[in-house]
Amino acid sequence: MNINQKIASVLLTSRLRQLMVAVLSVTFGISMYVFMNSFMAGVNNQQTEITFTSMAHIKIYNDLSDEVKPIMPVPADTHTVIMVNNARNIRYTEGIKNADGIKEQLSTHDEITGITAQLNQNVFLRNGVSKISAMLSGVETISEDQVFKTSEYLVEGDLQDLDKRSDGIILGISLAKGIGVHTGDNVAVITSDGISKSFKVVGLLETGASAADKTKAIVSIQTARQLFSKNKSYATEILVNIKDYALAQKIAGQLSSLTRYKVEPWQEGNSQLDSANVLRDIIAIAVSLTILIVAGFGIYNIMNMTVNEKIKEIAILKAMGFNGKDVIEIFLTQSVVIGLMGGLTGLVLGRIIVSIVDNIPFKIATLTTLPVEYRTSDYLMAFCFGIIITFLAGYLPARKASKIDPVDILRG
Amino acid sequence: MTALSVHQINKYFHEPVNFHVLKDISFEVTKGEFVAIIGKSGSGKSTLLYLLSTMDTDYGGSIAINGTQVTGLKQNQLAKFRNEHIGFVFQFHFLLPEFSVLDNVMLPALKLKKKGKEEIEHEALELLSMLGLNGQEHKRASRISGGQQQRVAIARALINGPAIIMGDEPTGNLDSKNTKIVFDIFRRLAKERGQTIIAVTHDDEFAANCDRIIELSDGVLI
Ligand SMILES: Nc1ncnc2c1ncn2[C@@H]1O[C@H](COP(=O)(O)OP(=O)(O)OP(=O)(O)O)[C@@H](O)[C@H]1O
Ligand SMILES: [Mg+2]
Repeated sequence: MNINQKIASVLLTSRLRQLMVAVLSVTFGISMYVFMNSFMAGVNNQQTEITFTSMAHIKIYNDLSDEVKPIMPVPADTHTVIMVNNARNIRYTEGIKNADGIKEQLSTHDEITGITAQLNQNVFLRNGVSKISAMLSGVETISEDQVFKTSEYLVEGDLQDLDKRSDGIILGISLAKGIGVHTGDNVAVITSDGISKSFKVVGLLETGASAADKTKAIVSIQTARQLFSKNKSYATEILVNIKDYALAQKIAGQLSSLTRYKVEPWQEGNSQLDSANVLRDIIAIAVSLTILIVAGFGIYNIMNMTVNEKIKEIAILKAMGFNGKDVIEIFLTQSVVIGLMGGLTGLVLGRIIVSIVDNIPFKIATLTTLPVEYRTSDYLMAFCFGIIITFLAGYLPARKASKIDPVDILRG
Repeated sequence: MTALSVHQINKYFHEPVNFHVLKDISFEVTKGEFVAIIGKSGSGKSTLLYLLSTMDTDYGGSIAINGTQVTGLKQNQLAKFRNEHIGFVFQFHFLLPEFSVLDNVMLPALKLKKKGKEEIEHEALELLSMLGLNGQEHKRASRISGGQQQRVAIARALINGPAIIMGDEPTGNLDSKNTKIVFDIFRRLAKERGQTIIAVTHDDEFAANCDRIIELSDGVLI
């Protein structure tokens, strides 16, 4: 410990009550920062998770091209007029014919964590007289589970059962209620072509996203292909999950060069989800920074008072040969120590608050407790901001102290 | 050799009214000389000493200490110069109240960093015992008597072995026995180590025993 630090520590410990108030204000600021950001991250994660139970990061499908090709070449001479009324954009191919080939091709990309193919069609479900429209999803059970974690949202039954019996079907929980069937009951699926087939309900799905819970019906993809009489490798879409969903746009760009089908990142058409996440993050940062800045004013105030109280001591030190820089060091050391002590206790307190919140019951949708995230980066950022703010708050009074003219004070 | 050379010093106070405190002061002090400054209360003795100690830089004229022209140096340079070359005892004792007696004495030496902590502590203890302060070393500076505080301030002024020791009534609060002790210490430092002593005093006997007396009257040297 050098002489300036020693002086700082003596000055700091001579007023323990003030020291404690200053430390506590930092503690409070930092713990709030940690709490706010952990909580918001938890909410964001929860939202994203629900979103991605029914939506993959990237979707590949056969898009109807929006540019209508001219039916006849435009004539070179100006005397001929072509009149085509009501031109139709005809889709010659429907869906993806060789889904397996594309899946294999994509699997070489190392950002990809899961690929699954789906065959989706609108159908009607009928149980006796009640009839309801539904979205029938033919899925590859194993990779489907990797991408959507579907089995986590099954309240009854098992996803693998779909492979075991070709007439098995899993229904969204509200859908099942809507037509009054339970696990074990039979239900008829009627396609738009009028084909009807009877299925046995083997499970129920509850994702928390009501649109999915109200419409979704899952069968195995082979069953779906049979039902719609499609070839072996047919799918309507290929769904891809990647390591970091925020990068979906970039990776979709890379993938689109591998296939002639439309490659669509999740943000396209879901910007409301994206913007909600960003807005929540902004609120969290704004609120927590405000708290930290208020704590900074607290420190500024206390350090200012200390400088005024110790003005005579500062004059003596300067008279003995301590220069302006030494005085700045002495007072800055005090605020940095306050920052460090408040910062560390703030991190601990923040961690405690977060785990308390993590255990507060909150039974809505699939939640059981309030959602929080444990991210090291939140703690690091809180600590850095805390130190920066105490440093700034301490610097101004310290600079004022360094400018004190000793004669003015000592002449009395 | 000249320890201190003062040339044509003029000092004004502007608050509350314009006031010419020191008028055309010039004098020299040789190394190892023990000088007393006397004069009526309000004649400008303290003001002069603040100028000589380099703390007050707002004056006309020039001051050189040990051959270094201190007039015109920057604040930080002056701080370093004071730390190394000047020991100062204030009219009111001005210790750091939160620190122990020993720490108060050691601070200027710890700042100078010429010696190790052990050595500094040893020298500080020696100075304190020389000034009759045995047993007070670890008390807080605010918990000792006025006379004791004044002697601690003297010990602090001596710790770096400064070329010039300036005292503003350094024995003002001491009984005759302790005044004698301080006087003898100053005497010995001047004679044995060639340190220059400049002391403001109201004590005629103290002044009479010095090498030279400088008298101020209403800001003029007589
Ligand atoms: N800060 C100041 N502002 C204005 N005038 C001052 C200031 N300090 C001192 N003076 C005036 O300058 C004159 C000299 O003051 P100084 O303190 O030098 O006297 P002194 O000789 O040390 O007296 P004493 O023996 O009582 O200590 C006095 O008339 C005093 O009123
Ligand atoms: Mg005086």
